[in-house]
Amino acid sequence: MRIKSLAAIAALAMASPSMWAHHSFAAEFDPNKPVKLKGTVTQMEWINPHSWIHMDVKNPDGTVTSWMIEGGSPNALLRRGFTKNSLPVGSEIVVEGYQAKDASNRANGRDLTFADGTKLFLGSANSGAPDDKSEK
Amino acid sequence: MNPRSPICPMLCAAAVFTLASASAFAQAVPAAAKVAPATTATTRSAPRTADGQPDLQGVWSTASVTPLERPKDLGAKEFFTKEEAEAYEKKTLAQHEVATPGTYGDVHYSMAQFGLEKGQATVASTIRTSLIIGPEGRIPPMLPEAVQRNAARAAAIKGHEFDGPENRTLGEQCIMWPNEGPPIQPAGYNSNLQIVQGPGYVAILQEMIHDVRIIPTDGSPHLASNIRQWFGDSRGHWEGETLVVDTTNFTARTAFRGSSENLHVVERFTRQADNSILYQFTVEDPSTWAKSWSGEMPMTKIDGPLFEYACHEGNYGMRNNLSGARAEEKAAQSAGK
Repeated sequence: MRIKSLAAIAALAMASPSMWAHHSFAAEFDPNKPVKLKGTVTQMEWINPHSWIHMDVKNPDGTVTSWMIEGGSPNALLRRGFTKNSLPVGSEIVVEGYQAKDASNRANGRDLTFADGTKLFLGSANSGAPDDKSEK
Repeated sequence: MNPRSPICPMLCAAAVFTLASASAFAQAVPAAAKVAPATTATTRSAPRTADGQPDLQGVWSTASVTPLERPKDLGAKEFFTKEEAEAYEKKTLAQHEVATPGTYGDVHYSMAQFGLEKGQATVASTIRTSLIIGPEGRIPPMLPEAVQRNAARAAAIKGHEFDGPENRTLGEQCIMWPNEGPPIQPAGYNSNLQIVQGPGYVAILQEMIHDVRIIPTDGSPHLASNIRQWFGDSRGHWEGETLVVDTTNFTARTAFRGSSENLHVVERFTRQADNSILYQFTVEDPSTWAKSWSGEMPMTKIDGPLFEYACHEGNYGMRNNLSGARAEEKAAQSAGK
């Protein structure tokens, strides 16, 4: 790899930013590596620019693999009344997303539900999303 | 910070204010999507601070469904009718991410679940078709020298975007976020700011991505021209009910919409009602555009507090982006053997 320090030109990318993510998810995760993980929450990191859910997934052979799931900015969740108690350690969740390009056990939280299928954060009808299964 | 610094009194005041608000964390109220009433062009006497300034203080949302530039199919149509504006707003707020599984567009977290869709924020209504005012409604064409300058920058970084952290965007580096301004623009989410006033100063704290702009209103001149800052050097004064802020001394690295270090922004903040501020701005840069351009948008008061956005503390994304690029390079090398 050739390192080429071009700090000044990083500014250019600001002219057409992705306003929906702090950084490039396309650079981080691989669309060819879809994952569906069912496991137990071990930690929720309420940190910006992105929240991270840590979970343990039991494998068919009985061993356990730890995963990290990347989510959105926690500020909006806090503003809607969610707290550090909203996703307690031990919660059983199902995550669908895509694995990291570097093949580490990280994935994006594309679809997050509790084990019974309700949405992880927005289990009510308040999301306004037509694809919100909890509304049906 | 040097306690003798001229900005210390205001910055310290802002810090105290923020700390005082922290107790409200436990009382965060769930906020469903709501739309504030449209602002009007009329002004009135704003409430006053203890030292007699118009009081702009509070936490404000800058979320908007209105684009900076007018969509070309609307031509010279500067305003919607009330009915058109309502329909446009309703349609925009109801939009959701739609992506095809297995594509890069699908590689994301759920916007709706994390409360980040526009329809989940407080949005101020306007009948404007673009934030930029006037018949054109768009940023003027760039001068040839600016086109060349920006093309050279793009060419220089092409293929090196992930070489190291210094080549990533200013947002990813947690240096600044494109909405912060000046001029202030709506952010995609967390589109909130807090205004705090004290004798001789106004401070604007942006939630994204945690910066405070300290604006002296004591008549002091701009910094010397050889001193350049990410957010420029802002100086304010009062014109009746309006706070006018003049900002120069930008760095070329800020590059607002392709601007140079000669960017000059004038902002006007006018309280129109208890729950709204009319924000107006004019942008000029003789090294980038042949003429100036102006825009305006309402800011809507929301319940506080702002929440801290300690961007760099949790910036795993930087490491992950770079490790992803290294993995791709390794895979490409293996495929080439």
